[in-house]
Amino acid sequence: MKVLIIEDEKSMALEMESFLNKLSYNCELAFNARQAREKMLDQTFSFILLDLGLPDQDGLLVLKEARSCCPDASYIILTARGNVQDRIKGLDLGADDYLPKPFSLPELHARMQAIIRRKAGLKDNAIQIEEFTIDLSKRTVSCSGEEILLSRKEFDLLGFLLLNKNRPLTRFQLSEHIRGDFGGEDYDSNYIDVHIKNIRKKLSVFGSADWLQTLRGVGYKIKA
Amino acid sequence: MKLQTKLALFHSLSKTAIVILFILLLPLLVSSVVSGYTNHLLEEQKQKVLRNISRNGIDYYLAGDSSYGSYTMLKEEYISLEPSPPSLNLDNIFTSRRLIEGDTLTYRVLSYTFPDHGRKYLLEIGKTLGSINQYTYPLQRVALYVLISLVLITLLVDLIFTRILLRPLSRIIKTKILNRKFPFNEAPIPVNTSTTDFRFLDESLSGLETQVRSAFEKEREFTSNASHELMTPISILQNKLENLMLEEGLNENIQEKINGMMATLDRLKKIVRILLMISRIDNNQFLRSDEVAVQPMLHEIGQELSDQMEARNIHASVKPEPSISLHGVNRELIFQCIFNLWHNAIRHNREGGSIQISGRLLTDGAYVLSIEDTGAGIPASALPHIFDRFRKAGENTGEGYGLGLSIVKSITDYHGIRIDVQSRPGRGSQFSLHFPPDFTS
Repeated sequence: MKVLIIEDEKSMALEMESFLNKLSYNCELAFNARQAREKMLDQTFSFILLDLGLPDQDGLLVLKEARSCCPDASYIILTARGNVQDRIKGLDLGADDYLPKPFSLPELHARMQAIIRRKAGLKDNAIQIEEFTIDLSKRTVSCSGEEILLSRKEFDLLGFLLLNKNRPLTRFQLSEHIRGDFGGEDYDSNYIDVHIKNIRKKLSVFGSADWLQTLRGVGYKIKA
Repeated sequence: MKLQTKLALFHSLSKTAIVILFILLLPLLVSSVVSGYTNHLLEEQKQKVLRNISRNGIDYYLAGDSSYGSYTMLKEEYISLEPSPPSLNLDNIFTSRRLIEGDTLTYRVLSYTFPDHGRKYLLEIGKTLGSINQYTYPLQRVALYVLISLVLITLLVDLIFTRILLRPLSRIIKTKILNRKFPFNEAPIPVNTSTTDFRFLDESLSGLETQVRSAFEKEREFTSNASHELMTPISILQNKLENLMLEEGLNENIQEKINGMMATLDRLKKIVRILLMISRIDNNQFLRSDEVAVQPMLHEIGQELSDQMEARNIHASVKPEPSISLHGVNRELIFQCIFNLWHNAIRHNREGGSIQISGRLLTDGAYVLSIEDTGAGIPASALPHIFDRFRKAGENTGEGYGLGLSIVKSITDYHGIRIDVQSRPGRGSQFSLHFPPDFTS
């Protein structure tokens, strides 16, 4: 899946590239609007990740132009500006999502996957983990045909861990995913443990949930 | 006391003093004027008589007799001319009683001795005190009336004039002091006046306002720019750490260390985010035009925080006044405000404690929402500072009433909501939001 990262902060772009490449996305980088335009004319992209604060042109203008030249791509705006007007303008101009900086890379991945699911429609999107079937589109968890009821946040956490399976996720990343960029000064993310405990309790009625691992002093990961 | 009242009082008192002084002096003044005038009159009559004698001889009056006397019909004036002993020398005016035709009357008398053809004569011209004083009383009265009316007229003119004179001052007070709200966003309107002192005052106040505003704007801009500029390096650092965490073959020890760095970065990120939020509130970037139903919002916040309450085994009881809606607020901000207070009540509670959230509609339409916890409370010495940025209350380090409450304060100030804190150390604290009646009507 081809991704164009338009971001003037080189080290930031490189980190995104390195993360996404490991998830078998195929990344191209553009550090300004001119480079971005050239690459968009040259190749077709499934995803265009766009920073609004470009040195040579306003990102919103780039978005407008890009939408007419590559209407099939999905757009995610990445910005440190973070004011409400920009968010509304960006979404109005046809961006599929908006991620204020600083964001976590697993979160970016989750958002991209959510867009893919949304665009694919309500087809089955089931992932099998041992005896459990988890459907991210329908937001269901089942075991041998029997549905397991999880709360909204519990499912959000499980889905997020699943999308980033085999990678450690810290409590901060998990907390930010279920809470968004709000929540005030919340220095302890220990309530995440409560959710995980509840998920494990609900799952273990049906089978072993050992694949949901605790990383002592760090967080959690799904091993599959 | 207002300057205008003081001036009016001063004017009235000084004028009253003048009137009283005049009333006291008036009899003295009038009588001295009258007696001076009488003396002058008597002197004139004396000169007339002497002229007549020198022109026509003394027999013009004596007509052969040894003496001459004449008086007016009511004996108000008399004149007498008679020989006098040569040793007598008189030329004076005095008050004396005279017996004329059986009537004893008090006269103002001019006595004058003069020689004529080797003999000495005494001339007396008299005027009764009654006739002299007959005008003094009406004169005094008229003078008094004229004075009082003049004083009243000047007093009125004074009052009107000071009123007009001081009008720019009251306008300056009204437009520059009473009705000005920090941070003075509208440009000041100069007060029109020809009084240079007032113009100076007005210009100084406007100048001060401009200075305050530009200083405040600089601070605001700085906070906003600094926070914004900090976000990019924080972003890069966070993503680098995240990638580092995904490196193959890291041992647990290193993972834990990276996690520690992420925790610190997370804290930094939250501080910057809160500073940005506060600067956005201060920059009026939030519209206050939403209508918010309290009960569903409390329900939503409760859902949002249920995991954190569960983690610490805290029970919340929520009793808002049913079906209360708040108008003219920003939903996001009010949500954040109540969220932070509730969150605070969780963080500073004891394990297994409880939280009481209750709403009350007062008779005047004001709405009070209070959030009470069963935590350690806030020591009285720390109470005045709990809304200050970066200040921590309580002994436990690490966690504190930090920036969460300064957001709450920014939000309540921005909306004009009053916030009260009551704390009983050891038993808990209570935060109350007082929404004025115009939020509920």
